[in-house]
Amino acid sequence: MELKILENIEIASNIYSLKIDNPALFDVVPGQFFMVKINGFDYPLLRRPFSVASFEDDHIGIIYKVVGEGTKILSDKKPGDFIDLLGPLGNGFGDVEKDKKILLVGGGIGIAPFIYLKNVLENDYKISYKAFFGFNTKDEIYIDFGEIATIDGSYGFEGNVVDMVENEIDNNSLIFACGPTIMLKRLAYLCYEKNCDMQVSLESRMACGIGVCLGCVIETNDKDFKRVCVDGPVFDYKDIAWQTL
Amino acid sequence: MANSVNMSVKLSNIIFKNPILAASGTFGYGFEYQKYLDLNMLGGFIVKGLSVKEKKGNKPPRIVETPCGMLNAIGLQNVGVDRFVNEKLPEIKDLNTHIIANIYGSKEAEFVEIAEKLDLEKAVSAIEVNVSCPNVSKGGALFGKNPDSVFNLTKLIKSSTKKPVIVKLTPNVEDISLIAEAAESAGADAVSLINTITGMVIDIKAKKPFLANKTGGLSGPAIYPVGVRMVYEVYEKINIPIIGVGGIYNSDVAIQYIMAGASLIEIGTANFINPDITVKIIKGMREFLSRENIQSVSDIVGAAHSM
Ligand SMILES: Cc1cc2nc3c(=O)[nH]c(=O)nc-3n(C[C@H](O)[C@H](O)[C@H](O)COP(=O)(O)OP(=O)(O)OC[C@H]3O[C@@H](n4cnc5c(N)ncnc54)[C@H](O)[C@@H]3O)c2cc1C
Ligand SMILES: Cc1cc2nc3c(=O)[nH]c(=O)nc-3n(C[C@H](O)[C@H](O)[C@H](O)COP(=O)(O)O)c2cc1C
Ligand code: FES
Repeated sequence: MELKILENIEIASNIYSLKIDNPALFDVVPGQFFMVKINGFDYPLLRRPFSVASFEDDHIGIIYKVVGEGTKILSDKKPGDFIDLLGPLGNGFGDVEKDKKILLVGGGIGIAPFIYLKNVLENDYKISYKAFFGFNTKDEIYIDFGEIATIDGSYGFEGNVVDMVENEIDNNSLIFACGPTIMLKRLAYLCYEKNCDMQVSLESRMACGIGVCLGCVIETNDKDFKRVCVDGPVFDYKDIAWQTL
Repeated sequence: MANSVNMSVKLSNIIFKNPILAASGTFGYGFEYQKYLDLNMLGGFIVKGLSVKEKKGNKPPRIVETPCGMLNAIGLQNVGVDRFVNEKLPEIKDLNTHIIANIYGSKEAEFVEIAEKLDLEKAVSAIEVNVSCPNVSKGGALFGKNPDSVFNLTKLIKSSTKKPVIVKLTPNVEDISLIAEAAESAGADAVSLINTITGMVIDIKAKKPFLANKTGGLSGPAIYPVGVRMVYEVYEKINIPIIGVGGIYNSDVAIQYIMAGASLIEIGTANFINPDITVKIIKGMREFLSRENIQSVSDIVGAAHSM
């Protein structure tokens, strides 16, 4: 699906906001992603997965961090250029139980899908939640809500987001989490300890994004493999074999 | 008038409406692509490699991107032949296209068992034998590296099924024509080539191979010149039809394979990038033939050899 780029601007250090024309052909659940073809056919070859950071009548929004060749090329695209999207794909965040204490916990670029989730929680579910986000430094902050932790202490809580959120978690908490694997792993062990619920969005290298290549699997607790692209990317943390990640 | 071009090809007793097949391991069990294209437009598709029993596959990471290609070490994860027949085949059996089953085993008897089971399935048009797998009874050397192993295996499978048997060759050998000749003399109805080329990527921060399996198979546009060269060589040595595969991502590369000597072609990795690429390639080939005033795609099979 070739869609027009409306905006592609740097909103924090090395972090870009990409807005794409919304063709009004589908709905998107927070946590779902698109496979984005960066260039013409052969280089870079594979599509790149990006979560939806906003979804409005007039645009689909993605927030991405420049980490390698593909995202570098993407950052040079201009409004009016076309970009090829496949999706929306995967299972997003689901089952919001209203009597639970809802916590959004994100780290770095993994916070992007929470911007859309916030919108859905406020406007569709009309429920309250608390948000806790971690960054390395102040320069990387690209959101304007939630409590912030920075590793270097340049803004908000000094330290990592798991330390900041730890005392908020109890057995009635429902956490939505996305971020670096080591952050998620610590959070998962914490959740086991506090006996709470958590839906966690995972990353993995993907070739197809549609469940056929079997390249994106992660190990589950029943000694099986699950595909991040179609069985996830959002999983119940109790299904994941965290020790293998 | 692009429509006047004759795209149909015959392989053994099967007539394909066009020479485009989707390659094994890149097209699931077919129905996963129904959302993206009309499967009836294809000459056929080849399902994920089937083993006797369900196989879970390798530990992740299983894939890594390389310039214009990718390495994979999926480890042949699949549901096994019985679940394929009971659960997957019913979803695709009524399609008006050819379904080809790709099979593999760790010893000869396993290939035979699968072939015998599939022989009973009307919806399966042919069997493609993946010989790029270790032969456990021969110390783990790949079946496909040794002409004698390929000869014996092909003969056994031919006697276990009436369906056409396609032997899919590995490029990781010294002389692929020798292996192709072995398959032909054992009665194979066709050979398909190439499977992936073995490679490795090292994670320099972790100081170890990136893939959990250490090595993986290289596929994608980067490998097409190797595939074209091998099809060209094999065409000079055998008389059964060749199915060309490896790195095909547009109709020009597809035509190159045909001119090198392939009667049909398979599209693999390109399906991951554009799920409807097969249909685009069919269209592009038709346009090429029509522009060049070529009436039938079979007229240019091996055309590059006439010089
Ligand atoms: C479900 C999902 C959602 C994502 N959402 C976002 C998002 O909203 N914003 C964002 O900035 N990033 C997101 N990512 C990560 C993003 O896909 C990678 O940062 C991106 O693919 C890097 O491409 P590159 O060419 O710049 O990097 P390179 O390192 O040059 O890429 C090389 C290869 O590795 C793959 N790769 C590299 N890093 C990752 C990674 N972290 N996860 C998966 N594949 C990777 C690439 O796709 C490519 O095939 C998401 C990943 C997944 C799986
Ligand atoms: C992820 C993946 C899985 C594959 N699985 C199989 C398989 O099960 N059996 C088989 O014979 N070939 C398998 N192949 C090889 C392809 O069918 C094909 O021969 C090879 O990828 C080269 O073609 P391509 O460059 O067009 O992908 C697989 C390839 C990929 C990329
Ligand atoms: S990316 Fe291909 S199965 Fe998930």
